[in-house]
Amino acid sequence: MNSKIKTVLGPLVLVALLTISRYLFPYKMTFITEIAIYALFVMGNNILYGYLGMVSFGQPFYLSIGAWTSAIFLAYLGHNPIAALLLGVVAGVIVGLVLGPSFIRLRGDYFALINAALCAIGVFVFEKLLMGVTRGEDGLWFRTEMSRVRLLDIRLPQNFFFFVMIIFFIVLALYSHMNNSVLGSSFKAMKVNERKMRFLGFDTFRIRWIGFILASALSSLSGSLYALNFGFVNPSLGENHRAADVLVATLLGGSGTVYGPFFGSLAFLGIKDLVSRWITRWELVVGIITLIVMFRFSKGIWGGIHSLSGRILKRNGKPTVQDGRRQI
Amino acid sequence: MNLWITAFVYGLSMSGVLFLVSVGISIGFGLMRIVNMEQMVYYTFGAYMAYTIVTATGSFFLGIVAAITVAAALGVIVETQLLRRVYEREMMFTMVVTFSVFLIGIGIIQYIWGLDPKPIASPMETMIQVARVKVPLYRLLIFGAAILIYAGIQLLLNRTIMGKAIRAGIENPNNVKGLGINIYKIFTIMFVIASGIAGLGGALYAPLIMVGPYMGWDMLLFAFITVILGGLGSIKGTMVSALILGQVMALGGTLWAPLAFIAPFMVMFLVILVKPTGLFGVRGVAFGFQS
Repeated sequence: MNSKIKTVLGPLVLVALLTISRYLFPYKMTFITEIAIYALFVMGNNILYGYLGMVSFGQPFYLSIGAWTSAIFLAYLGHNPIAALLLGVVAGVIVGLVLGPSFIRLRGDYFALINAALCAIGVFVFEKLLMGVTRGEDGLWFRTEMSRVRLLDIRLPQNFFFFVMIIFFIVLALYSHMNNSVLGSSFKAMKVNERKMRFLGFDTFRIRWIGFILASALSSLSGSLYALNFGFVNPSLGENHRAADVLVATLLGGSGTVYGPFFGSLAFLGIKDLVSRWITRWELVVGIITLIVMFRFSKGIWGGIHSLSGRILKRNGKPTVQDGRRQI
Repeated sequence: MNLWITAFVYGLSMSGVLFLVSVGISIGFGLMRIVNMEQMVYYTFGAYMAYTIVTATGSFFLGIVAAITVAAALGVIVETQLLRRVYEREMMFTMVVTFSVFLIGIGIIQYIWGLDPKPIASPMETMIQVARVKVPLYRLLIFGAAILIYAGIQLLLNRTIMGKAIRAGIENPNNVKGLGINIYKIFTIMFVIASGIAGLGGALYAPLIMVGPYMGWDMLLFAFITVILGGLGSIKGTMVSALILGQVMALGGTLWAPLAFIAPFMVMFLVILVKPTGLFGVRGVAFGFQS
């Protein structure tokens, strides 16, 4: 019972804090929306990198699948943004289902590179092959096509903020539940020793496949929200260059944790916002931060907070489960 | 028909560049067992050094010398200061580390030379006659340089005592260490050679394209395709796959322009899914692949 409350309470506190800060800093509202959307994307990558231990240099492809599905639906077929969102997620799940079996047999560098190749092919398909539908580099605009939905007119930024917060809360609660469930534990165990998992009788192929589908679905959900937020999608969304960003955000927040992706996306977008005032391109900063995080700060921001709070709490009691897990 | 001959020569030059650029990655895979994505930093720096020296002095030869020197120097710095700490770590770790070195390199280049692409004057305008078609000699020379480098590496590997140690290191690094050979010294030497070659590739390729900070991005993927198609750790495989890929890009591009960019990725896709060991894989089971 206690853990169930904890599963919901953490996300609730986080979303409440975000909502409060929306009123404290009214000018930063769109920025907070963007952080939440990006956090979903980072959460997808975190399943692959943090839980399963697979590096992918092609996550933007899954993002662009969701974004393009929603955009094409809204521009040509329908007007309901919620339906567009659902379609985007379904497209992500289908991509995960179809590509999964052949991709997840690959490990390490091969998995990373085939995703990078997929990313390049994806940009090509959306930019050149489907030019008639996607309008090539100009991008697809569909803001005027979106219709009013009942209860919450998400065309307005302030309403869209709440819409994103609701989705973020639901996903985060599910994510936190996953972390504590058998599935989450088997993900982590896979990262440590897959052979032992297989020896113990777990179907490692299926576990990996589920992780891959979850990652792809989360990325496409984020892509759909991104499309709804801006009312416009263009092929640069799926470019390889962006693969580095999401990886850095994952590392920065603390990989393999529930709240790490949120803090990673907060820190990353915050740094990007600050740095881009002085430097137009910030690869240098991103690279240096990654190196520092990799060598000196491998737990990331959330891991740092967690071990600090754990040290304080340890004075009056037993060590937490999390500490035990880290020592594997 | 004339068009196809021109395309073939274009493909040869492309093969030369691909080979020069991917030698380092192939050696990194085979010998040091790391995924060194930062090879493209040396390639980009080589191209930029060629640009700077050629615009300052007008001599392309000096440009090439400067490119090789600077690229090799960067290789020494990166290898001794950073990569030494990651050799024993897992592959995922080295991949992210070298990738961030690559990003830092791009950032530094943007600071020094700015964002806009820079053109380099072509070092020679000579055209020569090949089967009734005039083709630029420079493109053939690039291919010749690649062949020379290939022969040099083969001589180094097969005819010298150091080459023996390197080949043994590719087979089993721990045994080599056990024999009392300082394998880290060999790593440094090979790394410097590889980065110098990558710099040479950048300098040679620079007059054919515009030099820009992001030129390493596409080349990174192409280089990895070359290495994977050839088989990890096999220099011969790298050469053969560079020849194949160069023609795929050139002839495919002649057939339909967008294919020049996308066909290599399709090849990579197929190779990874169908035969992940590549054409000349050293081991039976490739790196990172698990059935």
